[in-house]
Parts: sequence; structure tokens; C-alpha cells
Amino acid sequence: MSGVVVIGLFEGVEKAAGAGDALRALPLPEEKITTISSVPLPDGAVCRDTRPIRFPRITLVGWFVGALAGFALALGTYLLYPLITGGKAIISVPPTLIVTYEVAMLGALIGTVVAGFREMGLMRFRKQIIHDPRIQEGKILVCATVEPGEQAQRAIEALSAAGGIDVRSEEGET
Amino acid sequence: MSGGDHLARTDQAALYHELTRSNLPATRRWFLVTGLLALVALWGAGCFIYMMKTGMGVTGLNRPVFWGSFISSFVFWIGLSHSGTLISAILRLTNATWRAPILRGAEAMTAFTLMVGGLFPLIHIGRNWRFYYMIPYPNSRQLWPNLRSPLMWDAVAINTYLLGSLTFLYFGMIPDLAIARDHATGWRKKFYAVLALGFRGSHGEWRRYHVASTIFAILIIPVAVSVHSIVGWDFAMAKVPGWHSTIFAPYFVTGAIFSGIAGVVLVMATLRKVYSLERVLTTVQFENLGKLLCMMSLLWGYFYFAEFLTVWYNRNPEEWEVFRSYGGHYLPLWLSMVVCNFVVPFPLLCMRRVRRSVPALCLVSLLVVAGMYAERFLIVVPSLARRNIPFIWHNYFPSWVEFSVLAGALAMFLLLYTVFAKLFPIMAVSDIQERLFQATDRTMGGATVETLAREGSGEGGHG
Amino acid sequence: MNHKWAMAIDLDRCTGCGACVTACVAENNIPVAGEAEVEKGRLMQWLRVERYWDGEYPEANAVYLPVPCMQCERAPCETVCPVYATYHNEDGLNAMVYNRCVGTRYCANNCPYSVRVFNFRDHTWEKPLDEQLSPDLSVRSRGVMEKCTFCIQRIRRVKETAAAEGRAIRDGEVVPACVQTCPPGALLFGDLDDPHSEITRKLKDPRRFRLLEHLGTEPRVVYLKRQKGAGL
Repeated sequence: MSGVVVIGLFEGVEKAAGAGDALRALPLPEEKITTISSVPLPDGAVCRDTRPIRFPRITLVGWFVGALAGFALALGTYLLYPLITGGKAIISVPPTLIVTYEVAMLGALIGTVVAGFREMGLMRFRKQIIHDPRIQEGKILVCATVEPGEQAQRAIEALSAAGGIDVRSEEGET
Repeated sequence: MSGGDHLARTDQAALYHELTRSNLPATRRWFLVTGLLALVALWGAGCFIYMMKTGMGVTGLNRPVFWGSFISSFVFWIGLSHSGTLISAILRLTNATWRAPILRGAEAMTAFTLMVGGLFPLIHIGRNWRFYYMIPYPNSRQLWPNLRSPLMWDAVAINTYLLGSLTFLYFGMIPDLAIARDHATGWRKKFYAVLALGFRGSHGEWRRYHVASTIFAILIIPVAVSVHSIVGWDFAMAKVPGWHSTIFAPYFVTGAIFSGIAGVVLVMATLRKVYSLERVLTTVQFENLGKLLCMMSLLWGYFYFAEFLTVWYNRNPEEWEVFRSYGGHYLPLWLSMVVCNFVVPFPLLCMRRVRRSVPALCLVSLLVVAGMYAERFLIVVPSLARRNIPFIWHNYFPSWVEFSVLAGALAMFLLLYTVFAKLFPIMAVSDIQERLFQATDRTMGGATVETLAREGSGEGGHG
Repeated sequence: MNHKWAMAIDLDRCTGCGACVTACVAENNIPVAGEAEVEKGRLMQWLRVERYWDGEYPEANAVYLPVPCMQCERAPCETVCPVYATYHNEDGLNAMVYNRCVGTRYCANNCPYSVRVFNFRDHTWEKPLDEQLSPDLSVRSRGVMEKCTFCIQRIRRVKETAAAEGRAIRDGEVVPACVQTCPPGALLFGDLDDPHSEITRKLKDPRRFRLLEHLGTEPRVVYLKRQKGAGL
């Protein structure tokens, strides 16, 4: 979510949960509320994750792409360079299976990394991202992506009323 | 406050500084140690270059013992790499509560032992400068590598495992790098900021991070099993008596996990001592590692006995000559192996007192590591030295060049690890914090017990 | 036209003189390893004459067994080379490609007969011995495997001559160095695809056996069992 974000630091999960309730009462839809914390909070404690997690599908895609690559490597080598070794068949099945499996796992790993990084939103170096290093002291940053103007003002009031420290609005991505 | 979790009463900044003592600016002692390791590694590299220029003749290799200490070391180092995989992946998947403090150290060990182990195939080949023949690249030679060869399976598998374990290590470090970035100043801040890739700990990031970590753990375990099976198949595919055994794949995997756990114990104990991490790396961690080590010692003994029994009972002449040499020329080494792998460790590790004492556990682990190297050596060498045609039987002993290269490899591993511990968080800070966050104290009558929160296992939040 | 080269070794005739070994060394640019290296187990000779003692003194008998490369039809060395440096050629020979070898030595480990030899060092021939080197084949550098090739350079030369003259190869035309030199004529070489060749006839002998036959390597070198004195 990018745009105008109202943020506030809260001591402890319960205070942050109160802030979350206050934001939802504004009303603000669930997907515009998030937290930034030094430890993962259970889903629903302060906010809920509304976007489905899609990248595991890419793991599977990566697995198949890798399997195909490994299979092509093995089979391709046998067909392009048909040398008799040890009286065995030119196209040997068990080694093909082994190479296919290994490259498939490599494909799955690479797929997970690439898709996982993208879906987590990592490597967005050029963008302005919301963050507050004070979360490392145990505080939780509650963020609300709002329309600038009236909604932003009400959000600031709600967070301050819930006990937020240093409540402010910033431009950026959550 | 109904929180009362252990993280709430911890000063997170102080915890961070306690866990990352290794990242403090380098002291003279650090430079001394690193310098010494670098010297030994350079000496090993120099001996390798000497060997490359003069020929493999400077080793003790001969006909029929064409594989010796280098291949034993290769198997040994790849075996040690199963430490991180087992600890990190399996403990993550089974949600073992004691795993957090050892995760990073074990994962780093996997990555670096793999790097060192992966060097040995390059070291031991006769024409090292032509190693690229084993890579399928477009060339005018009209030839590609032979994928029927177990050595090529090795190449593919070890590359996959190396990339996978490096990814696993790096990915697991991202939240810790974010914490480090938030605490650091100066060049370190920039360094960690780049490596943390902008991770901050938003709700969506954490959820996806957990899913990805689980997927990695699920993926890396079959890769690890297949890697050491394939290393075992380097031997099992051969027509060498004593090698050609179907038990080699699971036997090697078991041995790898066994030596890997012992390696983790040693590394963790060293970190604990050097960086005063006694509060985090408690007897709980070591006792549990000791239990695992005990189980693996039994499992190793079982596999070895099963193999021995089969050959002993059948007395197939070719295989029997190899096994007879265990009682002959190789008796001291064989006895050392049995004593160091099973006779001493297993009874000792059954005792709680030993498991809870870090020095005792370290001694046992050292014995195990030595015993496992002897085991690798005993797999490779006697089978070749006493093979099919008795006329060319010949013994083998490593030369000073081989000892130097092996020492250089060990020094390189320690050097990589030391530098890694200096630059990167060697304790999984975020995992430890997460564990503290999930832990609360609950009074049951007159007793106070620790309870751990687990998402998804409750009856749902309050409305 | 393809051939099926094979060798027959008559153990009744072998005296263990070792002339075959010397001839092989001379023909194939094989270096002399030297006493120190041989003691370490690094004999460079492609063909070896094994000697086994049968019985006790004073009734001891020496039994000699010349062992060249068996040129197995199901060669275990071929499958394990990661770079295809050894393969089975159309003549049924186990071909060795020195330029391709990276020196993993897996083939040597997989050979049950241990006939493969590794260049543990670079070798030099002091002048004027270097003038004795045959230009028909290479001098191998350190780090490369080598082994008996049934004198493939001689096979090639005969094939070229026969092709140039537009005829088939006659029986007895291809003679490896060891076969050529053997004083008692214990070694015989020929084409098993030729039904009239001497070797096809000779291998009908009931004395025939092959080394380590139970391993299923199907060697092309057939021994004829010794019947005079101590049997093998």
C-alpha cells in the first residue's frame, strides 16, 4: 500500500490491538491497516493479512521448469553425443532421473527465492518505505494507509487516543 | 498487562548487544587468530599449487590406491554439511522449541563446509586446470560431460545443495540483518541496509517470510539426503570389493548427520566460550544435541554392523580380503574408528551428566569427528589396497603435501566461519526474540510453568 | 568395415621373459618410472607379467600371467568417466582419449584388473632416448590416465593401408608390439569377426578362460589354461 500513511508507536500487543480496533472503527478497511514489529504477531492480533499468499505456486512452477531442464540436459547429452560406454544403452534412465530430480529441486529453490522476495516486497530500494527503528526496542508500529485530509486527521486522532507515541503521517509504502 | 510474555520483560536492545558480541569491532586477538588461519590456509594453497605443477606424484597415491586422503576429506566435509540442514530444517519443521540459538551457527557451518568440501573434487583431479570439461558448455570439442558418471551426479547435486544452503542461510538472516541495520552506525549500517533488502517486519512480510522459510526447509531436506546418497554412490557404483554395497546411500547419510551434529556441538561450544553466550546457548541446547548425537551413534553402529555382518557371513573372497585387512594392516585405524564412533560415545551420551556438561560433550564430539574421518578413510583406502587382483596390492599413506592441503582446508573453513561471525549476526536474534515473545509463565496451583503460544492452535481470538 | 579385435594368451607357452613388456614400452612412448616410483606403486607399464608361486620349495612352481587391458565389452571404466575420455569404439576397443582426461581416476578404480596407469608426474626422456619416441602417438602429460590400447596406432595404420589399397585386412596383418615380440609365441591377436582367422580357431580350445569372468565385464582377452606342470 502506498500513499499517505499514518503511523504511531505502541508499547505492547494489547495497546497496538486497541489502536487497530480504533482504526477499524473509523471506518478503515482491513487491508489498509498493518503493523511493523520486531517479532511476528499472530494473524488477527492487531491486524489481519487480507492478501492471499501466492508465491508457493511459483515453487511448483520452478520445480517443473527445473525438472524439464534437467531432463533436457541428460537426454540432450545422450542424444547429441551418442558414445557407447560400458555396453550400456545410449539413453540411460536412472542417471537421467537423478539429474532431473536435482535440477528440479534447484528450480524449486530458485523459484521460491525469486517469487518470495517479490511477494514479500523486498529489494524495493528506490521507493520510500515506512519504517521506524524504535521497533527494535519492543514497540509496535501501527500503520494506516489513508486518504489525505480528513481521513488522515481522524486516523491521527484515533491513534493518539489509543496511546500512540509519536503519531504522525508520512508518505511512503508499507 | 495481560501480556507478560518473556520478551516484554527483556530489554531488546541489551539482548541484541549480548547476542551480537561477535560483531563488535575486531580485537587484536581476533586479528591474530584470523592471521594464523590465513597463514595455514595459504600454506595449504601453496602446497596445492606445488602439487598442480609437479603432478599427483607428490601425494602418496599409487596403483591401485588411486583415491586417498583427498576423497576421504571430500566425503568428510560434505558429511559435516548435513549439520545445518538437520538442525535448521528438521527442527524448524517439527517446531522444536530449543532450536533458536543454534540455527544460524549450524546453517553457516553447512554453507562453509560445503564450500570447502566442494573444493576437493577440484584438488584431487590430475589436470585441475581442465576442470571445466565437466561443465556442459557450448564448445568446439564436440563433447559434453558423461551424465552416467556418479561424479557428474555429484557435480549437479553439490551445486544444488550449495546454492540451496546459501539461500537458506541468507534468507534466514534477513530479519536479523534488518535488526542489525536498525542498531548499526557508520559503514555497517549501509552494509546491513543493502543486505537486509528493505525488510522491516511488516505483518505481510512476516507471514510470507514464515511460509518461505517452511518451504525452504521442506525443499532442503530431500536435497541433503540426495546429496550424500549420491556421494555414497560414487563408491557403490564401482566394481570395487567393499564398495559395491546397496547400503551405502543410507549409510552415508546417517554418517553425515552423525558427524554433522558433532560438528555443530563443537562450533557452538566454541562460539559460546569466545563470545560469552552462556545465557543463550544453555545446557538445554547441548543436552538436546547430545540426545541427537546418542541416537545417531546408535544408528551408525547399526548400519555398520549390518554391513559387516553381511560380508562376514558370506565370506565372498574378494570382499573378505578387504575386511580381513581391517584386522591386519588397518587394525589400529579400525579400532580407533569403532571406539571413537560407538564404543565411547554411545554409553557416555546415554548419561545425562555427560549430555549436560559442555566440556564432556565437546570431548565426545571431537572423538566422533575424528572417528568419522577414520571411517571415511577406511571406506576409501582398504578396498582399493586389497582389491580383486592380489598381485598389485599396495598400501597407502598420505604424504606431507596431502596433510598440508587437509590442514589448509580446515583452516579455510575456520577462517570463513570466523570472518562470517565477525560481519554477520551469528545468533538468530529474531528467532530468539520470537521464542521469548511466545513464552509466558503460567501458574498451576503451586507451580509456575513456562507455556509457549502457537498460532493456529487456539480457539480463535476474543471477539 | 568393423572388426572385433581380440587377444589370446597361451599360458602353456608363456615363460615370463617380459619381452612383451619391453616391446610395449618401446612402442607406446611409455616412460620408465624409476625404482623409487615403482616402490611407491607407480609402475608405468601398460602390460604386466604377474608371477604367482605355486607350491612350496623345493617343489615351487612359478606361474606367469601377462595382463594387458582386457578391452572389456562391458567395460566398467567407461561408464564412470565424467568427461567421456574413455568410450567403446566401433572396433570394440576401449578407446582412451588423453586430451579429454581430467584425471579423476575413477576409471582406474573401477577397473577390476587394475590395468589402468596414471601419470603421477611429468616424464622426461634424456637425450638421445627422446629420439626413440614414436610419432604415431602422443607423449602423455601429468594427470592423464593411460592404458594398453591393443596398439591402436598399428591397427589404424593397417586400416589406412588396406583402405588405400582397396582391400580387406588380412589375418595376421595387425600385430601389436607385444604379440610381435613374444619369443615363444604365447600371444596371438586377430579379428573375431573373421571366421577364418587364426584367433577364431584358437579360441575354440576347451582350455579357454577369462580373468574375473564372474564380474560380467566380458573381456576380449582370452587365456588358454596351462596344462604342463602346475595348472592355473
